[in-house]
Amino acid sequence: MINDSLLVVIVASAIAYGTPLLFAALGELLAERSGVLNLGVEGMMLIGAVSGFWAVQTIGGPSWASLLMAVIVAALAAAATSLIHAVLTISLRASQIVSGLALTIFAGASGLSSYIGHVADLGGKPARHEFAAINVLGLKDVPVLGPILLHQNALTYVSWVLVALTLVYLYRTRPGLHLRAVGESPATADAMGVNVTAYRYIHVLIGGALAGIGGAFFSLAITPGWIDGMTSGAGWIAIALVIFAFWRPELALVGAYLFGAFSSLAFTLQARQVHLPPEVFASLPYLMTVVVLVLVSTGWAGKRLGAPASLGVPYVREER
Amino acid sequence: MISIERRLTEAPWLVVAVPAGSLVAAVILSGLILLVTGHDPIATWGRLLDRGFFSEGAMSATLVTATPLLLTGLAAAAAFRMQTWNIGAEGQLYLGAVGASGAGIALADRPAVIIIPAMIVAGIISGAAWAAIPGVLRAYTRTSEIITSLMLNYVAGLVMSYLIFNSHSYWRDLSTFTARVFPQGKYLSPAATWPSLGIAGIAIPLGFLVGIVAAGILWLIYSLTRFGFEARVIGDSRQAAHYAGMRTRRKIVAVMALSGAMAGIGGASEIGDFRHVLDPRGLQQAGFGYAGIVVAALARLNPFAVVVVAVLLGGLSNAGFSLQGATFPAGLVGTLQGLILFCALAGELLVHYRIRFRRGAAASPPATKPAPVGAA
Amino acid sequence: MTVRGITKRFPGVTANDAIDFEVLQGEIHALLGENGAGKSTLSNILTGLYRPDEGEIYLRGQAVQFHAPRDAIAAGIGMVHQHFRLAASFTVAENLVLGHRDAADRGLLLEPDVIDGRINELARRYRMPVNPRARIWQLSVGEQQRVEILKVLYRGARVLILDEPTSQLTPQEANDLFQTLRLMAGEGRAIIFISHKLDEVMAISNRVTVLRRGKVVGTVPRALTTTRELARMMVGRDVVFTQKKEGAAKDGRQVALELRNVSARGDLGVPALHDVDLTVHMGEIVGVAGVAGNGQRELAEVITGMRHRTAGTVLVAGRPTRGGDPLEAIRRGIAYVPDDRLGTGVAPSLSVAENLVLKAFRQSPISTQGFLHPRRIRSNALRLMQRFNIGAASPDTPTRQLSGGNIQKVLLARELSGNPRVLVASSPTSGLDVAATDAVRGLLLDAANGGVGTLLISEDLEEIFALADRIAVLYNGRITGILDRQQAHIEQIGLMMAGAA
Repeated sequence: MINDSLLVVIVASAIAYGTPLLFAALGELLAERSGVLNLGVEGMMLIGAVSGFWAVQTIGGPSWASLLMAVIVAALAAAATSLIHAVLTISLRASQIVSGLALTIFAGASGLSSYIGHVADLGGKPARHEFAAINVLGLKDVPVLGPILLHQNALTYVSWVLVALTLVYLYRTRPGLHLRAVGESPATADAMGVNVTAYRYIHVLIGGALAGIGGAFFSLAITPGWIDGMTSGAGWIAIALVIFAFWRPELALVGAYLFGAFSSLAFTLQARQVHLPPEVFASLPYLMTVVVLVLVSTGWAGKRLGAPASLGVPYVREER
Repeated sequence: MISIERRLTEAPWLVVAVPAGSLVAAVILSGLILLVTGHDPIATWGRLLDRGFFSEGAMSATLVTATPLLLTGLAAAAAFRMQTWNIGAEGQLYLGAVGASGAGIALADRPAVIIIPAMIVAGIISGAAWAAIPGVLRAYTRTSEIITSLMLNYVAGLVMSYLIFNSHSYWRDLSTFTARVFPQGKYLSPAATWPSLGIAGIAIPLGFLVGIVAAGILWLIYSLTRFGFEARVIGDSRQAAHYAGMRTRRKIVAVMALSGAMAGIGGASEIGDFRHVLDPRGLQQAGFGYAGIVVAALARLNPFAVVVVAVLLGGLSNAGFSLQGATFPAGLVGTLQGLILFCALAGELLVHYRIRFRRGAAASPPATKPAPVGAA
Repeated sequence: MTVRGITKRFPGVTANDAIDFEVLQGEIHALLGENGAGKSTLSNILTGLYRPDEGEIYLRGQAVQFHAPRDAIAAGIGMVHQHFRLAASFTVAENLVLGHRDAADRGLLLEPDVIDGRINELARRYRMPVNPRARIWQLSVGEQQRVEILKVLYRGARVLILDEPTSQLTPQEANDLFQTLRLMAGEGRAIIFISHKLDEVMAISNRVTVLRRGKVVGTVPRALTTTRELARMMVGRDVVFTQKKEGAAKDGRQVALELRNVSARGDLGVPALHDVDLTVHMGEIVGVAGVAGNGQRELAEVITGMRHRTAGTVLVAGRPTRGGDPLEAIRRGIAYVPDDRLGTGVAPSLSVAENLVLKAFRQSPISTQGFLHPRRIRSNALRLMQRFNIGAASPDTPTRQLSGGNIQKVLLARELSGNPRVLVASSPTSGLDVAATDAVRGLLLDAANGGVGTLLISEDLEEIFALADRIAVLYNGRITGILDRQQAHIEQIGLMMAGAA
């Protein structure tokens, strides 16, 4: 049957594996559009993963309510983590690069997320609830489209809505225009009465929240459960994705699924008895990130098309 | 109303006070985290200090942990000085370990005077070569070295795993049946064990001494050579460097390689001083490369300060490893390192800026007259 | 609008000291003062960007306080900045609605058609045609300024502040601007016109308030004053720039720099320089006039090796250069004073001493066998600081802490101490006060008298007329004419700058 064909399986699982990347990349995209580079995505995702899993184990109620609460808890916890970065870089003008790295060391593997996981004793426990694929309208067996579009979990559908909302927000609304101006030329936005600081804070926090949801996707959907450092570099790939996507949400979607495919390839091909050392498959997402970044950075794209002009630069009004 | 003003001159005492204050502030903040999660901060801290520095043999163990931190700290300092963000010390250290253990295995029959220098050189070459990859990509394709150097950390980890767990490589021990079923690396000959220097009952590993020499060399390069001068200009303003006719691209590759070489020595020392076998799991759990960033930042990229900070943080890590368990949850060390870095970043503000409180706050601006008119 | 006792201090300076002045409806009021007199600080206070340490602002008799630019905009104050506050990648329309909130224009969603209609109507009324859908980077400087003014009108400003509005315009464009300003004043708007150019202040204003070192020297009606009196108020003494080039006989002199059919691309990859032919003799100063963005930067960078040329030849002392290599240019004796002093001309965090050897560090005695000699670097610095009269606390002072004039002296000291054949100087006095301007011009003339062939690229026509032996005009990347200074006329140069001749 065609739905078992290699291509269909790869595309369907690419979407599943790409969804957390998409959430995190959209969040980072919004933060960077405001001019703030946050290299702490990996750390925020791990905070989201551990706190989401903690919530689903702790908060009772029906499955959907427990999962909904878990996603909210993950988003809030990761947003709170990103607040540190916001204060340091926006208010205190610290280096965005170093602060982001500090965030990943602080929150990431063998950091706070690991501490929480061990204190709450979450390791090795099965998840009470998980995000399972929904059989939309009972059409999951429709050839090709069924497994790809109609048999994904709820968060994946949410991510599609999110891409559309982000597009409208950025290009069709007044706050979106202001956001782009803040990242492009904060002095102009400021002189025009846009509150640069507020826009930056809000979008760094939104970026944190979305990274948290992406992290929770790992502990509630991909491999339900909690392991220290379970995102294994997805946060960094999400940062690379934003560059790959030229800071555009619709391209972030494409990129997320491309990298989702690389991540899922290891499992898919091994299941099909393709005999290569597992390390070859495992290193694929990392190597492809490097390759894609190199391709995007050279040639016509080398002009950093789409990069917010003042990305990484603190904005200070009263300095001469 | 709080306002932040650039200082016209940097106050010299702040350069020491800020890192020290950062440590204290981080200790207090981590105490809050301990308190919230139901642990007694004072007791925990007492145990940590005791295990890290004061108990029997603690300093010797701390120096073993401080050695790789010293070298990855120097790696970060070497690159960050030029605003080149090598986040790949972790992977460069792995490769250094691969190179050094390879050299150690190859020269198993030779005396220590040949094996040990060969291991150091092999570590330097493999670390530098691995770091040169993101360096070349940065210099010639303008690809962000932050992400590429980081991605290569994961790849380096997988390379090590492949060598030991999934191949019949030169590094893997295949001599016994058990070794074939439970994969492990070849142990080096006793001659490849690095000696240590005993002073006042404290064993100083050879790697630590090499690290001090490396710190001196790094300082020399940056303060007294043409190469270092150009690197500093490039770090301050790429435009100005281009204007002054400096070859920025070559310099980026060279500085990345220099940085990787430092991390590579760290990997060689891990093999020679401590593990004596290529041990992928142990190396990956330690996370020395990332901690090196904290060391370098807290030392404000000064190579000699890196030595001191590496010992301090080495003590914390050492105590963290040995205390790990129910009363001392894993993850605390990383949390603490992150907090120290946050505090150092916030403290950096005090070095460069003066914070003034105005309008209704108690402090009024110094020197100039207060400004009451219409300001209320 | 009335301003009473405005004081603003920055670390180390009092930028505004008890400023009083007032503007009436329908009046064009000039704020005159040299660079650094406090004009920009004052306008930033009036638009809510800075908060004053002391003093009050009244609008139609009511005291107002601006906590942020939003408040000033809401109060009907609009500012046209010297360096336009426009987001280059945005369209004209997007720049106009940015931050704007009024009854007709506050919905969450943007309505492009409504906005375009309003812009077109404004543009018609003030005779400033623009295409609302055009992106800012596609527009000429003059067009960008129109957008900047329309932006202020779009917000219904009753008080307009224009900061050095003519600095990047051709004389003809400036005249058009004056027409528009009179039209707006005629509608009862109050206009504050900030400038350091005496003749245009005399041409446009009703009254003039003169600032000097942060203080008001006085306010005078234009009809009752003279250029000479204003100049004295502005500088505190009779101003005449003392530095003027005596005619150099170029006959028989050797050629220092020659460009043959040189073309180059700009940063975005579009051709920016076309078939430029230019010759500079030893001891000669050739001025390059033109409105910014017509290929000046590309010209300077092609000569100094910072940019690759796409065609043509550059010869130094008769020998061709490979090009595209700053180090080669340095070795061939091409010195360069770039317009971006702090970012390109010096490494800002490095010390004065280090910046003084930014190029000489490769050679003995500063370095030997790859090692630097700190003592020699220091003594070199002390010697140059004295010879070029550089005001720095010590050779170890970070260069960014120096004033603009002293940074420029560091640059010139370094470039001229390398005994160059050719000097390319881009806007060498922009943003400097009178004393520093005079000093820098003196250094350029000394260098020329010592035989250096100088290419002086400047938007300041007065400067070019004072210093240059010959004047080349650059328009759209082409040299549209080269004239001897004695035969050149400022009107004619202005037309050439606009591409009309």
